[in-house]
Amino acid sequence: MATKEGSFSVEDMKNVQINIGAVVKEADEWDQEMGPFPKPGVATLRDWDYKIMNRYKIMYAPADDTCTLCTYGPCDLTGNKKGACGIDQAGACGKIVLIACLMGCCAHAAHGRHLYHWCLDKFGDMKFDMGDEILVDSPLYQTIIGKKPKTLKDFDEGLAYLEEEVVQLVASTHTGQEGYFMDFESKALHTGMMDDLGMEICDLLQIVAYDMPRGAADAPLIEIGMGTLDQNKGVLIAYGHNLAAGAEAMIYAENNNLWDKVDIGGVCCTAFDLTRITETGRDSKVPKNLGPKAKIAGAMGWWRKMVRAGVMDCVMVDEQCVYCDVLGDAQMRKIPVIATTDKIMLGLPDRTNDPVDQIVEDLVSFKMPGVAVLDPTKAGEIGIRVAIAVKPKRAEAKIQNLITAEQFKEGVEKCTTCNECAFVCPPHIRISDLIAEAKKGNLEAFSSMYEICVGCGRCEQSCPQGINILDLFEYANRQYVKNQKFRMRAGRGPARDTEIRAVGMPIVMGTIPGVIALVGCSNYPKGTKECYDIAKEFVDRGYIVVTSGCMAMDMSLYTDADGKTIWEQYGGGFDGRNICNTGSCVANANIMGAAIKVATIFARRNHRANFDDIADYILNKVGACGIAWGAYSQKAASIATGCNRLGIPVVVQPHSVMYRRSFMGRADKPEDWMTIDARDGSLQQVEPAPEAMLYIAETKEEAMLEMAKLCFRPSDNSIGRGIKLTHYCDISMKYFGKLPDDWHLFVRDVKDLPLVYKEDMLKTLEEKYGWKIDWKAKKILSGPLRPADVSFDPTLIARKIRTKK
Amino acid sequence: MAADVKKGIDTTKNPIPFEMAQVPGPEQAKCFMPKVMGAIIKKAKRPLLVVGAELFDDPIMFDKMIEMGKMGIPIAATAHSVKGFVDRGYMENVYQIGLHPLTNYLRFPDWKGLDGQGQYDAVIFMGIFYKFANAMFATLKNFNRDIKRISVDRYYHINANMTFGNMAFNANDYHAAVDEVIAAMKK
Ligand code: SF4
Ligand code: SF4
Ligand code: SF4
Repeated sequence: MATKEGSFSVEDMKNVQINIGAVVKEADEWDQEMGPFPKPGVATLRDWDYKIMNRYKIMYAPADDTCTLCTYGPCDLTGNKKGACGIDQAGACGKIVLIACLMGCCAHAAHGRHLYHWCLDKFGDMKFDMGDEILVDSPLYQTIIGKKPKTLKDFDEGLAYLEEEVVQLVASTHTGQEGYFMDFESKALHTGMMDDLGMEICDLLQIVAYDMPRGAADAPLIEIGMGTLDQNKGVLIAYGHNLAAGAEAMIYAENNNLWDKVDIGGVCCTAFDLTRITETGRDSKVPKNLGPKAKIAGAMGWWRKMVRAGVMDCVMVDEQCVYCDVLGDAQMRKIPVIATTDKIMLGLPDRTNDPVDQIVEDLVSFKMPGVAVLDPTKAGEIGIRVAIAVKPKRAEAKIQNLITAEQFKEGVEKCTTCNECAFVCPPHIRISDLIAEAKKGNLEAFSSMYEICVGCGRCEQSCPQGINILDLFEYANRQYVKNQKFRMRAGRGPARDTEIRAVGMPIVMGTIPGVIALVGCSNYPKGTKECYDIAKEFVDRGYIVVTSGCMAMDMSLYTDADGKTIWEQYGGGFDGRNICNTGSCVANANIMGAAIKVATIFARRNHRANFDDIADYILNKVGACGIAWGAYSQKAASIATGCNRLGIPVVVQPHSVMYRRSFMGRADKPEDWMTIDARDGSLQQVEPAPEAMLYIAETKEEAMLEMAKLCFRPSDNSIGRGIKLTHYCDISMKYFGKLPDDWHLFVRDVKDLPLVYKEDMLKTLEEKYGWKIDWKAKKILSGPLRPADVSFDPTLIARKIRTKK
Repeated sequence: MAADVKKGIDTTKNPIPFEMAQVPGPEQAKCFMPKVMGAIIKKAKRPLLVVGAELFDDPIMFDKMIEMGKMGIPIAATAHSVKGFVDRGYMENVYQIGLHPLTNYLRFPDWKGLDGQGQYDAVIFMGIFYKFANAMFATLKNFNRDIKRISVDRYYHINANMTFGNMAFNANDYHAAVDEVIAAMKK
């Protein structure tokens, strides 16, 4: 009905809920009431954060004993001393952690904002439709914002909210603002949650706009590896995280029938997103089934090896995780560079408004080493045309792509065994030993270390003899590069609601022993094979294994005895004994989304604007554990922190100490494990499950053992606990040669005991821990912390108590 | 001072962090000769030997650690290093625990130790991935200064109180230096 502007009638009030400070229109067809925390502010969920941090104590490993952030500095904070502004070492560490998380969060959010504008410009507004099998289609958005986006345009509200929060969070890092470490960490947890939201918005936008798979367990197998790039064609590399320009290049190649002249390979997450395009066959403005025409050249950690291997003719960089010296590396080999977003312009001239022909000519004739072109369509066309035209020019100009046998020999002869390089090599490769072997004519040492080398180039920076060590690696691994050809599953996007329904109960009861998420980069600390080993161990054991980003790429470079990659060995479902690739970095949101969906689809918890309730459910009932086993970016810090706020523990590799902060429980403090039983509000001490929120492991063996342990949850029933304990003990026996020292903490009943170890364990419980055992009845009479009780309903949130005692 | 102690392997040379850029601030570890190191470990009331997975790269070190263990110093076998002790049949006072949770416990004065007998007064690191050990020393350096931080590893550990200089490229000298530490502890 018509009313004057600025006034409203009572009928208009229908479906309008007034919150303090904001008017939130209720979505008409949503059966859930608006929850308590729509668009939580910086301090709204602080109580929840403190619950996490009181149990999982913040632990800092300062990378620096001083602070130099303002003109008072440097201040010496050694021993938790205070600086001139009054901040102590813990506070200063917290501030740096928050800043790191903000960097990561903003990288994803800015990516999302760019895609939002780009997709609306290119495609116009579109219905937000994830298909019939994904009805909980934006779990993080709904949990945090309390609304369901209906069109792509609706995501603006989420982005605007996120951007406002980020400004507040950055402000708190100014000298003289926040000073208390726990509040810095509460803000970091808030930032992590913002990051979850930003990633989800980003991935959902591109899934819909580019018609990517929506939970397809059978997403196509894609070619991966440097050897897949056809050197008879011009090779265009799209490097970074934002598909816009790379996708335009593919569309240009398709529309102009150029695939016989050009190959497109992606590096880092752009690779994934290119290979996901238009795979469902719905109506789209983009040509059908385009994705599988692109190849995945490799993960970010392979970049420098790839340049040295001479497998590309032109490179387009977009954003995030791009090496800062990409231009210098490319210039040495006359590989034209096109910068396609304003986040990375590399000092190049902005040629966005110049005619395409002129730019192509300037690049192909090597007049310019690179250009910035911020219009993705134009950049895409230039990329394809340059890659095709520059290939013969590079051949004519006799560009030396690869070193000769003579140059290799000269290089190794120059080495004086000073070992300066070994002092800076992150994985501690004794380069002089490899060189000594090479001098004897044995290249095997260089080959065996190729995948351990992270390609950081620090050795070359430090070598007084100026030896190009990465070139030596390339020379020794030329054949390997040619043969680096594998197949992996394209990113399938979120878990389908039906999949969640099938696995919800087994996850919560523990009969599927856990959900293992391998995310981020994967090249530390001992090479890329470790991520394959870890994934395989857990898939084989029947865990649900999900992965994304560079980790998913790197695990594809290894095969079993039959020559099959992990993707060819197992199905791609969200199920036990399956491995699913959710997609690029931003597709990590689908992993967190799956945990939320267990709470809302299986357990029927209202997730709408109800973050802490859902996180509490996940912490106590969903046996999930993330692992990040690689180097690089602050995005890893924010992703891990986002997982932690959602109640998901994460294991990281030892170099992760550079991010300074971890969350560690104290199993020896009963008071830290007091948990409310939601049935009646009584307090119950539970076993330390999960024992830590952010755990640093020194070796993959330790990581695997800890991951198995971090899948325990108080809600496990006896069968489930027995299965989890079996895997925990088996992994320990396999890699440690003995049972872990703390298995008894997780035993509540004789039925919890793994069958294989039962007799011995009962004996140990009696003799070592003084438990009373009825041997005839095979029963535990006393000893455990608490009895196994399937109807126990653990929570840390008082408002969940159903009947007050 | 330390360098005056006569004869033996000179473990005071090369005080450069093994990852060169690890220079945290004004307080930096001092290098000591093995004999002094041994004497100080011997004097500790509640020492804990903390070993890591790098022992697998130089297995003879397991035997040397067991020798220390037999002298009554409990061993925290971090990462999966406990396997080395299991394989050698020595589990007497060996505890399996990750370096990260161990350091977490070490920073709280009220922790009762791996044997329930109370917090330690000295930790002796050995065979642990450099950057990780360095960071865990940094935790103790900044947040529990009651525990003496000793490294008998082959690297200069800048965040320890006492360390050797870098001996990463001279296994023989390093082994001899550790033997001297053990000999001094036996005195
Ligand atoms: S921010 Fe504080 S601690 Fe840092 S330099 Fe300035 S006064 Fe010193
Ligand atoms: S490029 Fe490779 S060999 Fe050189 S320092 Fe980095 S990891 Fe070590
Ligand atoms: S820094 Fe150069 S000269 Fe020295 S050992 Fe390494 S490669 Fe040889």
